[in-house]
Parts: sequence; structure tokens; C-alpha cells
Amino acid sequence: MEEITVEAKAMIGKETVLHYQVTERDIRRFAQAIEDSNPLYADPEYAKNTRYGSVIAPPLFCQMFAYSDAPASQLKEDGSPKEIDVPLPTKRVLGGGSSFELGEPVRINDVIKVIKKITDIYKKTGKSGVLYFVVMDNLWTNQNGQMVAHETATYIHR
Amino acid sequence: MGKWLPMRQQLIFIDRVGEDMQDVGLFWDRIVEGYEIPPLIKKPTYTQLFMFSAITWNRHLIHYNVEYARRDGLPDVAIHRALIGNYLAQLLSDWVGADGKVAKIQWNVRAVAVPGDILVSRGRVLKKRIDGENKIAECEIWVEKKDANIIAPGRGEVIIF
Repeated sequence: MEEITVEAKAMIGKETVLHYQVTERDIRRFAQAIEDSNPLYADPEYAKNTRYGSVIAPPLFCQMFAYSDAPASQLKEDGSPKEIDVPLPTKRVLGGGSSFELGEPVRINDVIKVIKKITDIYKKTGKSGVLYFVVMDNLWTNQNGQMVAHETATYIHR
Repeated sequence: MGKWLPMRQQLIFIDRVGEDMQDVGLFWDRIVEGYEIPPLIKKPTYTQLFMFSAITWNRHLIHYNVEYARRDGLPDVAIHRALIGNYLAQLLSDWVGADGKVAKIQWNVRAVAVPGDILVSRGRVLKKRIDGENKIAECEIWVEKKDANIIAPGRGEVIIF
């Protein structure tokens, strides 16, 4: 069984911080991409009469700010996200599990800050051989410093 | 502007026409442990997967390049883990509607799903609890392929207003 390399371990705890401004179009397109026709995400007139007072984004909207805007030339051949490009003796990567805590709703014009880091890399031996697990932590806050979402996601490298 | 209800809730409402609706109480009071959340059915298409890849800027080929996905041992392009989470989030948010919001959601993808699969998201209330000022319903949630196995088990919590 190959050990997790020093290079891979060195990636643990390294933070990347990015900022994004949310547009009406982002929210509309995200809702379309997940096929959720709730008018709270698309209809300002409808949303005005709800407790929120304006359009908000679907619960897991911050997923659209999980991966960096790295150009394709910086991605591996399989196009997998740069965030999970960890030097491991594996060929494939797939999504495993995810856990979200949700806070303030996201609104149009919010400036979302995301802090991303790998918090753990470990391995297990399964039926199909050695599996490596990369744990990512994503924390999204808004311009008022309020937590909007906090995710712990596990990616499986095999 | 009338109150928007997801189609499933409209059907439930229609189903109840003629019942005495006066003493149903608040949404919180009507939630009982063991209550089964109205299921949400999705049949993802290639276009849907492409749209989700694009909006999340996820360029991983297994989600939109069939040839690559098959070479990688998959039956077809794979539905994103993140998209499956949105089905579960919608299951909960459609259920609580304007009476609550999703506070926590967790899921694991155990098996691959591909375009054309009929995916049924389901859930049931495990427990009700009061946490400070929040009224919370803890739920077991999952996505299953129609007439097949659970592909993504999970948990969720909703805060009821």
C-alpha cells in the first residue's frame, strides 16, 4: 500500500480565499440547473410578499462558488476540479459525501467570500483496493460577515 | 399574488378538499415523528447535467463526455454528487414551503446515477426538538432509483418558523 506523500500532506490546511458578487442571473441559472421552479428564486413580485422580502438563492447555491475559475489548461486531463488535484497514486476521482450547514440566505448583490481548504487526507482498503479520501472544507460568508453555508465534502480517489 | 405551492402540495391539498381544515393547527404541530415527506421525482437529462456542470464551473469529463465516462468504467455520464444534494434540499424545502427552511443537509453517494434514471427523493421525520428559539425537525432523507436501491442516503434538519 502506497503511503500518502509529503507533497500531498503539505496541501492540508492551505487556505484559498475568493470573493464573488451574486447576480440575479446567477440565482436564476442555478435554479434552472437544479430544476427547481420555486418562484422565491426567480420572481421578485412573489418574493416581495414572503418573509424574505426579495428573491433568495436555493439552499445549496454556494456550490457554484466551490470551484475556482482556473483555466482549462490548468486542469488535469479528466477535467476534474483543481481543488481536489492532490498528488496520489490514483487515476480517478469521484464525489463521495457532503455535509452542509446553512445560515443566512443568499440574495442578489451579496458579496460572498469563500475560504477553501483540504482538512484531511486518509486511505482505506476496500474490496476494490486502496481508496484515498480527500476532505474539503468550504466556508462561505456574506459581506456582513454572516455565515451563509459551511460544507465538509469528501472526495474519493481510486 | 396567491400562495405558491409545489405541485405535490397542491395535489395533497386537492386530496383534502372537503375535510374539516379548521383544526389542523400550525405546521409545527402537524409534524409527527415518522411522517413521510411527499416524494420528489426527477428524471435528469443530458442537458440538465451540462447546465449543472456549467453553473458550478465543474469541468470533470465524467459529467458530460459519454465516451470518457464509459472508458472510466461508468455506464454513462454520472449525475453530480452536488446535484443529488439539490434534489434532497428541494425535497425538504418544497415540504416546508413558507413555513420553514433547510438548516442542515448531509448525503453520501453510494451508486452512480445517469441521465434517464428516474430518481425518487424521499424522507421521514425522525425527531422534533426545540433548540433555543428554533423549532427543528430532524429527518432521514434519501434518493432511490425507481424500483431499485437507495443510491444516496442522508440526513436533514429543517427549522420551522
